Amino acid sequence: MTSIQEHKQEHKIETPNEKQNRHKAMEALKVLNTLKEGFKTPPKAMEYFYDLFENVYCNHTALHHDKVKVGTMCIQIPSEIIYALDGVPIRLCNGFYTDDEIGSDFLPQKACPLVKASVGHLASKNLTDKPDMIYSPTTCDQKTKAGSIIEGFGYDVVDVDFPRTKESEISREFFRRSIREFSVDLSQKMGKKLTKKNLRSSISKIGYAQSLYHQISEFRKNKIVPILGNDMFLVTNAFFFDKIDNWIEAAEVLVKELEQRVKDEVHAAGKVSPRIVYTGSPPIFPNYKIPLIIEDSDAIIVADETCSSNRMFNDRVAVDEWFVNDMLDSLADKYLKACTCPVFSKNDDRIRRIIELVRSHNADGVIYQAFAGCTVYELEQRSVLEAMEREGISILYIESDYSPSQHGQLSTRVEAFVESLKIKNRNKR
Amino acid sequence: MLSKLKRLINNMNLIRIRFWIQLISFVLFVYGGYFAIYLGSKLPIFACPYNGKSAGACFLIPLQHQLSMPVQILLGGAGIAVIFGILTFLFWFIFLNKAWCGYVCPFGTFQDWLTLLRKQIGIRYSTYTQHQFEKLSKIKYILLAIVILVPLLIGVGALGGEWSAAFCQICPARIISPTFGGDFSQWSIDFSTKTSMVLTAIGMIFAGLFFIGSFVKKRFFCFFCPMSALHYIFSKFSFVQLRKDGSKCTRCGDCYAVCDMQIKDIADDVISTEILRDDCILCLKCVAACPEDDALHFDILKLRAFSSTKQGFEKRMGIAKPKGDADDKHTRA
Repeated sequence: MTSIQEHKQEHKIETPNEKQNRHKAMEALKVLNTLKEGFKTPPKAMEYFYDLFENVYCNHTALHHDKVKVGTMCIQIPSEIIYALDGVPIRLCNGFYTDDEIGSDFLPQKACPLVKASVGHLASKNLTDKPDMIYSPTTCDQKTKAGSIIEGFGYDVVDVDFPRTKESEISREFFRRSIREFSVDLSQKMGKKLTKKNLRSSISKIGYAQSLYHQISEFRKNKIVPILGNDMFLVTNAFFFDKIDNWIEAAEVLVKELEQRVKDEVHAAGKVSPRIVYTGSPPIFPNYKIPLIIEDSDAIIVADETCSSNRMFNDRVAVDEWFVNDMLDSLADKYLKACTCPVFSKNDDRIRRIIELVRSHNADGVIYQAFAGCTVYELEQRSVLEAMEREGISILYIESDYSPSQHGQLSTRVEAFVESLKIKNRNKR
Repeated sequence: MLSKLKRLINNMNLIRIRFWIQLISFVLFVYGGYFAIYLGSKLPIFACPYNGKSAGACFLIPLQHQLSMPVQILLGGAGIAVIFGILTFLFWFIFLNKAWCGYVCPFGTFQDWLTLLRKQIGIRYSTYTQHQFEKLSKIKYILLAIVILVPLLIGVGALGGEWSAAFCQICPARIISPTFGGDFSQWSIDFSTKTSMVLTAIGMIFAGLFFIGSFVKKRFFCFFCPMSALHYIFSKFSFVQLRKDGSKCTRCGDCYAVCDMQIKDIADDVISTEILRDDCILCLKCVAACPEDDALHFDILKLRAFSSTKQGFEKRMGIAKPKGDADDKHTRA
């Protein structure tokens, strides 16, 4: 029946954009379906997020037609400032293999898949919510260069100077000035003034969103973990592009439901599932390759140390005197001083954070994933491994990319690690 | 019950509570004489006896007087008086540590009021660069050396009587404090001797600088205060301490950003557990601004009296559920 109908239809040649969208929708659906159906009952509140990702990545529904969209290449551009000026921040980090392949034409073969995918996405000019301007903080080499490549595609790209040492007072001053300049530039482009009132209220709003994230993290410290790490990545990734008020509402509903699930003793994984702290290159939807393998192998991610989640939400802004410049300085401090990105010359903070997460979330081991080509994470791998060894924390280092291949090999390694953690736990008992 | 009380304290609005404590202490130490209150002359704060109505006096005055006694007397029975003085000073100091500066010292409080005035006018504060800060922060030790060495030199006869209480002659508190009691007589230069003239002229300049400095810079004078330097020597003996748990610190710099004294260590040092530094005024703004549970805490005899908490942070920073306006509702539908 259907085949006859198909024959009747006029044969239509698919445009490259249509092909790209079809492939992306397939990638997205595969992950969403696994999350919806492959695990024990996810929280009902997750429906909102599943639908959101399906709408944006499969049905290409634009969310922000009525607002100025400010694209950001990395998480160091304060969303507080963008929201205060009535814009919408769109984080351009991309997780699609389809876009990674497009981007391969513009970057060296060995470049990071995240950067390649971000460049590929913008090169295709096939965007649901096209950014009106792009701010590119000069974080890692590849993101920095990507900014200038993207400029070649006809986007308005502004570099935001980001220092690569964070301990020194010079760096702090430098980034404070950088953020002040960014705010002046954006405010000119938006034709709106940054005021004490609008900046303070947006700091408070983002602060509230952060507090919801903190509340969820508290639940994940429990013996009974009510939410999967993958679902959590979806929630935090949604913050990259969602309407903030909707996100806040959905997160509030989720917090309530998780509270109930803890009371009802609903565990998202099994009772003996090893607890994992996830770190390394950020899982950006739909590249949940490694996190999905982890949770498929009967482990549960209870915390993470990545910029797409923990690093974005954890640190807060404190202000002493609520003047615009004081708020801007505090914002700059938050995005620099507290940042645990491996781009920095020294990075004891990252190691300290991982250890603290293992302790506070009572984790059994750490899984460190680096994208092949994500130099900074690859470089830092050794020192983190050494530190974990010193602390007696089990750790597995994995290198991966966006390609759907290697699944068997990767899952074998992860399963073996998870199994070893289980044996360790059994012996302890 | 206990946890409820703990939460209440950790969530308190520190700024408001501190304001009232400071106001009450200010009235007590500037006008206490009217109520016949006198707490002695070994207080670890700038409660200046030149203000006749003060309820107590700054320890630096008797210290200078005692140390300037002739050597034979000082090494004899008077030495006991010096030791007794220090012990009395220590007795007061042990209860509050440097919180004397942040909560009680009328001279510190007056600076906070100048800050308040600047804030009301809408002028932003200025800061030192780290380099300037490190240099300026040492001046208080030079002033402490003046407090101690000059009287000793008088005692051995190397300096004349006109150097007596040399620090007081240059201290801006001597000039400004009596003014609150309606006494303007200190606003003058003493022409009796050349030395006095120079010293009191410096005092006048310092008083002028005090007003300008404290207006643009939070707690301007405290960077130079020799009392603060003297405190630091004894700060380890106090019942109350400011402590830090480095493993919980993310070095976000929130505590540093709100610190009136620009103490960088408070944010960056993740090794020390005793985090009280010589410039600290123990105002506890850092604890109030720390967003990590128990990363910073104010301890009384090793018991956590006031701890940083997420909840407390959110309350104090005014982080609350945003009120969606009609426009938002519309776009959502």
